[in-house]
Amino acid sequence: MESMVAKITQIILSPVLALIVGVFFLGLARKIMARIHWRYGPPLIQPVIDMIKLFYQKGVSHGRMFDLGIILSLAGSIVVVLFLPFGRIAPLSSSGGLLVILYIMLLAPLGMALSGGQGANPNISIGISRKLILSLGYEVPLLLVLLTVMTRYKTISIMEVVSAQQSTSWSIISFPLFLSGLSYFLILPAILGIRPFDMSSAPQEISSGPMVEYGGKYLALATIEHAFVLFISIALFVNLFLGGAANPVTFFLKMLVVFVLGLCINAVFPRFRIEQAIKYLWKWPTLLAFLGLIITLAIRS
Amino acid sequence: MDRNQITKWLKAPAKMANKYSLHAIYFCTGCGIIEVPPVITSRWDAERFGVIPVATPRQANLFLITGYVSVKTLRAIIRTYEQMPEPKYTVGFGSCPINGGMYWDSYNTIKHLDKYIPIDGWIAGCMPRPEAIFIAVTHLWTLIDKEMANGYIRYRENYKSYRRNQESALGKLEWPPLFLVSNESQGNEQ
Repeated sequence: MESMVAKITQIILSPVLALIVGVFFLGLARKIMARIHWRYGPPLIQPVIDMIKLFYQKGVSHGRMFDLGIILSLAGSIVVVLFLPFGRIAPLSSSGGLLVILYIMLLAPLGMALSGGQGANPNISIGISRKLILSLGYEVPLLLVLLTVMTRYKTISIMEVVSAQQSTSWSIISFPLFLSGLSYFLILPAILGIRPFDMSSAPQEISSGPMVEYGGKYLALATIEHAFVLFISIALFVNLFLGGAANPVTFFLKMLVVFVLGLCINAVFPRFRIEQAIKYLWKWPTLLAFLGLIITLAIRS
Repeated sequence: MDRNQITKWLKAPAKMANKYSLHAIYFCTGCGIIEVPPVITSRWDAERFGVIPVATPRQANLFLITGYVSVKTLRAIIRTYEQMPEPKYTVGFGSCPINGGMYWDSYNTIKHLDKYIPIDGWIAGCMPRPEAIFIAVTHLWTLIDKEMANGYIRYRENYKSYRRNQESALGKLEWPPLFLVSNESQGNEQ
């Protein structure tokens, strides 16, 4: 009974925490970007102000699928958050692992694609096709990296990966896995969709791509979805390579470091074209991830 | 700035959020748009006022009409304005939208923009300095506070006459009316 209550509390708490962290990251991103540009920047709570405004605005719907697609992608992200340990808060991580996360992570872009398809704006089609090509680019190294981690620790459970790292050392400084960690960090901007890889939502070229028809509460939901995606991809990196954490505060600090490093990349790089991005993603990150996998297999046998 | 006053936020969250989150659509309607890049980038940094440019009218709630309005641009301006979600605010920037300015006798420009879409505020000058945009934004805050920035309500109420003016300038319009013209019930966007 006691554990039941604890579990339910965790199931409610973990998406809320993820949302708070994600929205904080959105605000921090704008502030840090501004400081790097030598500007003063908006207040830290600017995304919250924007979201309040958007929920009060009168949005325009383009049909049933337009509404349901974005809810589908939001639901997918929330379920992934339940499977990801955040410090010791890990409601469903005992019943699933990396494989489950890999499958459900696909729901988020899929829902956006479905929703955008109903929008019937040419910019949406271009944005969605770029997004799917980009995910084709980063899925290859990502799958290799996750395969390496699973092979190294002989488990698919993230909790066991975390506890194994806490008893020995972080994956990112252990021998064969630092190659995979480096590879994951190199593809992290592509997963987050930040600057060298933001061609799928480029405001200047294709009017912010899949977001072009979202206004009002749809845009607010899309922003929340973006906050969740930020949380998920960084939390996965921290769990797999930076040793997770024993409590949420340490975990949050580790996420913060990774995110600020990503922001610095975001601030100084121009945008790749889509074929340049594929060329990059299938060259160095894939090579590193592949090398890591081979060495891990060789050590193991 | 009263951005941090909790009581105001609790009393009227929609109004406060509209004030401090003005998303301007970047649609280059005329020569005055050249003053906007310094405003949104490092030199004057409009983002500290919550003003950021967005790429699509669906996400925007502030429309800057920068400089002269040719007949061809007016068509795009009306369509853009009608696609923006309510509440939405328009600011005419420069003398030309006010009364034609130096194009007062041109055959191809619109002399009084507020005949065609409602305008919440004007910035006079040719060209106004970039700082004038901030003065306009702070004035707009005051207007929103006093509920005087009601252009979108005026547009809904007087849609018939606006539509008539638009048709007299542009001929037959190829898009359906935004609101039902006959009675006061509110229509939906196209």
